Order: sequence, then C-alpha cells, then structure tokens
Amino acid sequence: MILLNSIVVVLKETIEAGILVSVMLSISQCYRIPGRWWKWGALLGLAGAVLYAWRLPQLTEWFNYAGQEVVNCALQLSIFGCVLLLIARLVQNQTRGLPLLLALAMGLAMVREGAEILVFYIGVTQQGEPLASAVTSGFVGVTIGASVGALVYYSLTLQRSAYAARAALLLLALIASGMVLQASQLLIQIDWLPVAAPLWNSNALLLEQSPLGQLAYAVFGYEATPSPIEVIFHFAALTLCVIAAAAANRRAKRTIHRRPAP
Amino acid sequence: MTLRLKPVLVAVLLCAPLATAATPTVELAIEGHRFVPDLLLVPAETKVKLLIHNRDAGAEEFESFELNREKVILGNTKTVIFIGPLAPGDYGFFGEFNPSTAQGLVRAVAAGKSQP
Repeated sequence: MILLNSIVVVLKETIEAGILVSVMLSISQCYRIPGRWWKWGALLGLAGAVLYAWRLPQLTEWFNYAGQEVVNCALQLSIFGCVLLLIARLVQNQTRGLPLLLALAMGLAMVREGAEILVFYIGVTQQGEPLASAVTSGFVGVTIGASVGALVYYSLTLQRSAYAARAALLLLALIASGMVLQASQLLIQIDWLPVAAPLWNSNALLLEQSPLGQLAYAVFGYEATPSPIEVIFHFAALTLCVIAAAAANRRAKRTIHRRPAP
Repeated sequence: MTLRLKPVLVAVLLCAPLATAATPTVELAIEGHRFVPDLLLVPAETKVKLLIHNRDAGAEEFESFELNREKVILGNTKTVIFIGPLAPGDYGFFGEFNPSTAQGLVRAVAAGKSQP
C-alpha cells in the first residue's frame, strides 16, 4: 500500500508545482528570456524544501499551532507578487530582472510541495517501511507529473508565438490567483479570516476529489464549495493581474509615443 | 497612520484569545494510521477547534475536500485546525499519507439532536 501512497503523494505535489513551472518555462521560451534561470529556481526550491522540512517541527508551533499555515500563506502570496511583477514587465516588454523573478517564483513554488514529499519519506523511514521501493514508486509519480507539465509546456510553445505568449500569461494569472484563494483558505483554517456558508456547491458539475477536479485545483485553485472570502480573494487577485497588465500596457504605449522620430 | 492603527491592533489582539476561548474544542488522535475516534460529533452552525494528536512515529496529512482543510501533522506532535460553522450533515476526512486506513467523518449535529 505504501507504494501506491508514494505515487499519489508525489504525483499530487509534483503536479501542483510542475504546472506553474511549465507555464513559466513556456513564457521564457515565447519571450526569449535569456539565462538558465530555472537551474537557480530548482536550486532555491530544493534548498528551501530541505530547510522547511527540517524546521517544520518548530515552525508548526508558531502562532499557537498556526505557523505552517502562516508560512504557506506567505509563500503563496510571495509567488503571486512575483507573478504580478512578471506580468507587468512582460506586457511592457522589459526583460530586465525577469530571470530573477522567474527563478524566485519557481523556487517558492517548489518549497512547500518539496517539503511535503520529504516529510512523507521521512515518515516512511520512521515507520520502518522499505524506502527503496517507496522512492521507486515516487519516481513513477514524478514521471507522470513531469509528463503533465511537458504537455502544458508543449501545448503552449507549439502554438503561434504571439497567441501562445498571451495564453501563457493568462494561464499564469489564473494559477497565481488560485494560489491567493488557497492562501485565504489557510487563513480561514487558523481562524485568522472569518468563515461563512459556501456560496455554491459545484461538485455535481466537477467533483473536487476527481482527478480532473484535482487538476483544476492545481491549475486554478478550484474549490467546489468556496466561502465568500475565498471568492473575494480570488477575484481581487485576478483584478490585480488585469490592472497590472493594463497599467503596464499604458506605460509601454506612452514610451513609444515619447520616443523621438528617427 | 501607524499611530492610529496601533490601538485597533491592540484591541484585536486582546479580543482574539476571548474569541478562541468561546470556541468548543474537539480532540482527535492518529494511532496506527487510523483516526481515533473515526466519527466526530460536533455542534452544527458552530465554529469548532479541532486538536489533533499524531501518536504515530511518521507524519500524516489531514485532508478533507468537504471541509476544505489540509495540514501536515508530524509524528508525535499535535496541531490545531478550525472547522465550521457547518450545516447539519456528514463531512469526510482522510489521511493523505495513509488513505486506505486513515478515514474519518465529522458529523455536525443540530442542537438537541443526536443525528443530523
């Protein structure tokens, strides 16, 4: 049973971070962003995940057992901040600082998911389960997760470049807004945000625990029964993305108009 | 701006423990990759503090789609999750690291009833 659990746990965590990373890689390809930023992102993510898993016992006890949620919420909001800056810079056609933003967003996205995988495997060893077979099963999970990521990457990069770039930006905004929704959910979980009855129940349309529902959760932060606060946070995040893009677009046009004629 | 916000922040921080004190606490344990008890009766339409003790050596992840909750609980540690207010009914939860055994149900019961 531990083998199946390993596949499921690793696959879920890989997909959640993997889709964001593949969208950022496709943006990097579409906008011809230089450098191997993804190597630095992966390094930051791995180091962060090890640090997070190592300090998890202390971190959990912060704020009267709310530390995990507070740190995860900070990670999600930081990724959203990076994405906002990315959108603004890409719309303005400014490439300065983009590799750093992409590496930072990738690293932060990997921290929580990577740490959960590490904590799972530490638990496997503590229970005296065979680690080698659990790691092998985890590799199957990584492979399936990476295949989903590759599918997203090639679906975006094999399109006509102008269309693909816009689609990737839109997808990035949706993923980041979903992270803000998840951040609000974490604050509700520790009673830092008020909770109310769900606004709707869309389980009949798309069951949250189904594979497709889980994929939608990973991509858009899909919740079948969202509370009003979660919906407000999600739409506020989407609106901020639109405002960032519109403001950057206006600035870009103003710069073109100001440029002296050759 | 900072000076004006300070009294408000102090008031909020002072009120927070009062609000928590009024919240009923329900205890749950993880033993041998199972939730004990696996059926939790909680009052409906009331916010509840769930105190979870993981008595196993390995970590577990409490997860519930119905309750919209997800949290890693390390081995031999405890943690807190707030749930509700819930409408009367059943809400499933499970341990993501051991879903075949770690399964449970939160039953929100209206005042004066033993069933939802």
